[in-house]
Amino acid sequence: MISSDAVESAEAIVDVRGLKKRYSGSLFNRRSVDALRGVSLTASGGEVFGLLGPNGAGKTTLIKILLGVVKPSSGSASLFGEAVGSAAARRRVGYLPESLRVDRHHTARSALRYYGRLSGMAPKEIAKRSDELLDLVGLAGRDRESVKRFSKGMYQRLGLAQALMHNPDLLVLDEPTDGLDPVGRNEVRKVIERLRDAGKTIFLNSHILQEVEVICTRVAILSKGEICGSGSIEELSSGSVSGRVTLDVIADEKTFNGGAASTKFREWLGLSDSADLEVAANDGIGRSHRLNAMLDSQTKIDAAVDRLRQAGVSIVRLEAQRETLEDTFMKLVSASEAAN
Amino acid sequence: MRQYAAVIRDSFHAALTSRVLWIAFVAIWLLLAALSPIGYREDFTTRFRSSDFSNGTRMKAMLAQGLATPDQEASATRNLANAMPEDLRRQLERVAEGEEVRIQLRELASALNGMLDDESWYDTEAWKPTLRFKELRELDELPDEGLDESTRRRRARLRIEAAFPGVFETRSSRSVLLTYASMDFPADLAIDKTQFSSLINQYVFPLIIDWLLGFILIFLGILVTASIIPDMLQPGSLHLLLSKPISRTLLLLSKFLGGCAFVLLCVTQLVIGLYLVAGLRLDVWNLRLLWCIPVSVFLFSVFFSVSTLAGLRWRSPILAIGVTTIFGTICFVTGILGGLSDGFIRTPDQVRGLALAGENVFAATDGGGLKRFDVEQNAWQEIFKSSAVNSDRILNPIPFGDDLVGTAVVRGGRFNPFGAGPLDLLVLNEAYDWEAEPSLRLPTATSRLFLGGDLVVSMNTSELAAASVQDLLQAAGETESDDEAEAEQADEGLLSKLSNMMGGATPGFSPVLPPQMAISKPRDLVFDPQGEWIIAISSGRLMRLEPSTENPTQRWTLRVERSLEGEASKQAKIAVSGNRLLVARSEAPLIILDAITLEPIGEPLPLSDSLIPDTVQPLGTGGRFALLTSDGRCRIIEPKDEAVTYEITQTLRQKEIEALHFHVATNQLLLAHHIDQIDFLDANDLSVKRAIRPSLAQWRLIDRYVLAPLRIIVPQTGELGEPISALISGKSAIVMNAPNGEEQVIRYDIARPILSCTIFLLVMLTMSCTYFATRDF
Repeated sequence: MISSDAVESAEAIVDVRGLKKRYSGSLFNRRSVDALRGVSLTASGGEVFGLLGPNGAGKTTLIKILLGVVKPSSGSASLFGEAVGSAAARRRVGYLPESLRVDRHHTARSALRYYGRLSGMAPKEIAKRSDELLDLVGLAGRDRESVKRFSKGMYQRLGLAQALMHNPDLLVLDEPTDGLDPVGRNEVRKVIERLRDAGKTIFLNSHILQEVEVICTRVAILSKGEICGSGSIEELSSGSVSGRVTLDVIADEKTFNGGAASTKFREWLGLSDSADLEVAANDGIGRSHRLNAMLDSQTKIDAAVDRLRQAGVSIVRLEAQRETLEDTFMKLVSASEAAN
Repeated sequence: MRQYAAVIRDSFHAALTSRVLWIAFVAIWLLLAALSPIGYREDFTTRFRSSDFSNGTRMKAMLAQGLATPDQEASATRNLANAMPEDLRRQLERVAEGEEVRIQLRELASALNGMLDDESWYDTEAWKPTLRFKELRELDELPDEGLDESTRRRRARLRIEAAFPGVFETRSSRSVLLTYASMDFPADLAIDKTQFSSLINQYVFPLIIDWLLGFILIFLGILVTASIIPDMLQPGSLHLLLSKPISRTLLLLSKFLGGCAFVLLCVTQLVIGLYLVAGLRLDVWNLRLLWCIPVSVFLFSVFFSVSTLAGLRWRSPILAIGVTTIFGTICFVTGILGGLSDGFIRTPDQVRGLALAGENVFAATDGGGLKRFDVEQNAWQEIFKSSAVNSDRILNPIPFGDDLVGTAVVRGGRFNPFGAGPLDLLVLNEAYDWEAEPSLRLPTATSRLFLGGDLVVSMNTSELAAASVQDLLQAAGETESDDEAEAEQADEGLLSKLSNMMGGATPGFSPVLPPQMAISKPRDLVFDPQGEWIIAISSGRLMRLEPSTENPTQRWTLRVERSLEGEASKQAKIAVSGNRLLVARSEAPLIILDAITLEPIGEPLPLSDSLIPDTVQPLGTGGRFALLTSDGRCRIIEPKDEAVTYEITQTLRQKEIEALHFHVATNQLLLAHHIDQIDFLDANDLSVKRAIRPSLAQWRLIDRYVLAPLRIIVPQTGELGEPISALISGKSAIVMNAPNGEEQVIRYDIARPILSCTIFLLVMLTMSCTYFATRDF
């Protein structure tokens, strides 16, 4: 159903270099707006590329430029090596807008026929593909119903189906799960994952960071028209562990050798007197403890583990808390905003 | 192109789901259902109607004269006068006694209709001297027993018409009567089949198309389609469309074409419905009606182009409707200004007749004026003022010499062929700075003057009367005042007064037509420049008349006559060049005849049905002619092989020609075009020898440099009715009866509205496409 004739994974499908876009003011309001200030990014074949950013960051402008709807002020952008906006580039792109608007006289099937024709498909091909996609997005039984009666979720599914109509190599999805209930979101997410597995390149713009975290292989964070971070989820969060470590340990009275438990733990963990350390008893007999301390590097964690073990402390659990995408996002965006 | 076809198809789909469209459909079906019971029936033309009279005064006088005719004399008019209802007879007796009695034409028509069923007034002997046309002669030969009621009534009508020559308009022998659900229309709408078809094609259809399609459907169409472009510009729709591999320009044009779907669907139903109703119910099958479909869509597209640009700019259907309404208002106001300009500035100055006296060029104008071209000033000098509100009518000037010109001003003659008050021939003399000097009195209702040799012939509603130029010049300046003339007329005998009422002789002008002969419309006349013959065509009958050698102002002799095939009621124009006579009739081929024997020569020469002959003039004496047609162009007709076969050899380059005049002495053809410009063409090689390009007065300058460009820039949507009329009727002009009784050819303005609308549409679409293609959305 989802064809696998996707492009080579090594190929840069989306290639954006130094892209700038300035919206000039009108006759009555001369203030111009710099929507993009030199954005550069690439998305390779088979990737699910997430574009993140707060409102007004320039995400929509970037997508519009990729689709050829808006012309850049400077810089360059290409899709499949073709200049954005060219018919050759657009022929290989499927687009799901944020709020799809389908004329009220359409049914799901007639809308797919219409968009299929706009993509230059032959009638037979349209009929065959419509059946497949309606089935895929779960509109098979309601394909002859007027879209007037469609819910937001059904619209989104129809939008996804139309974006896939001409079997594009690149899918640009603008908030694909927006307005969907959890079940719907899950279904759409599954479709995207299947597309990803089929080798399609997906350019995803979403506010739902958890979703991006789950689906995307790479992300770019856009703020104030600039890329403030890009790479894989791991790359974005690697080397930037949060520093807080939680340990569940077992140590009896002998281990402390008459000293105070908190003092001993501070010593073994290599913490200064002023360093933050929480010690809580996990049981009522004073053997099991939960330690929560700041250890901001792997070396310190390793050294702490060594010292604990030498002192005869059993380590039941150790959890070094890493940064979430949300943490990274907030940190990068805050830094960008502060810089601007 | 599959993508763009999809956009257009989608717009059709969208239009079909519009509720307003279905309301419009239902309204159209109801209209067609209401029209479908209309029908007609055909019968002989029997009943008289007021509009059948071309000269009611003449009839009144003839009936009064009939009453005064002694009983022992056989007289058709006396028989008919006696058969009149009692009260009408009493009024006629008072007319015969010299009283001024007003008798309504309706009363006369009603009295005559009452006589159709009872022919006791008919007397073979009394009708012997009357001029009976072929149809009556044939009916008279049939036995009474074999005639049905309708035929008998027809024969009675023809007998009455024969008794009153010059009184009635020529009517077709068959008439149609409109019916509705098999019931006759309450109003008397009896017209002949040709007139009926013309009425439907030239008035009814254009009226329906103008109002239903040109106004209501366009307004509805704009209401429905104004949201197409703003809807397309909604982010969820536009960005998706623009992400497809299609051109923005073609996308917009496809949307635009698709938007026309609404009007196309409505117009197609309405026009095809009208076509079928007219064809099935009225037997008027006019495929040209289908032209209304593209023309109406084109008209709508002009308005829709404004709505499109406004929708693109402001993305609001309400604003798009508002801007389109403002645009419609501007078109309307410009149309009104254009109409005022035509009526008050251009038309009054338009040249209708030309005369050349020595070096002096005279022009009679549409505005009832007469003007002379002043070479030094390079401007027309008005002798009688041209004006839109002028109620007077000027007769075409005739040159009596290099410094003398004759004409006449019919007071109130623009709205009444008879005018008001006495009508004198006026002599204009250069020595008196072209001051008009009254000369002899012209017969009542004189409409044209002809000069031949030493004779001036006047033509009125039915008579020809002649006077010598010498007498006219002598009388100039010596005529008594109006009051004295009236007093003198009161002293004249009763019969003389009745004769005057009939448009007969006046003290200076003597009737020249043989007794019982009349020149009735449609008609035309050629007077030999040497005054040796007159060739006239009247109601499809050609006549050659020659004067008596002793006294040319006595009644002339009918030498030859010939009835032409075809519809007698069609307008006809004639001209003589050497010994060749050209007859040009509406919807008939041109005929060349021998001017002496009136025998046809060669094959008839076809002329496009869309062209109505306006004027024919000779080009010298070699059998060549210039034909002015309703499209404002002049065509040259020349002999091909030994003067037997004729052909249209060329069309002159001049356009918007209004009048032609061949000047014998200089062998030049004078051509009046573009209101009051004159070209003098050598009759042999048709090269322009002289051109008059007069300097313009203030209002004409405003018209040329302000209003005319404005009428090109602002599309003249209201004037598209004229191209529609032309397309439906297949004619380039319409022939109308002017209030003065003369037929007037009104040319359809086809090019300007189409040109202005096309230019505007292209400009608007270019602006819209450029905006859409270059704008970030």
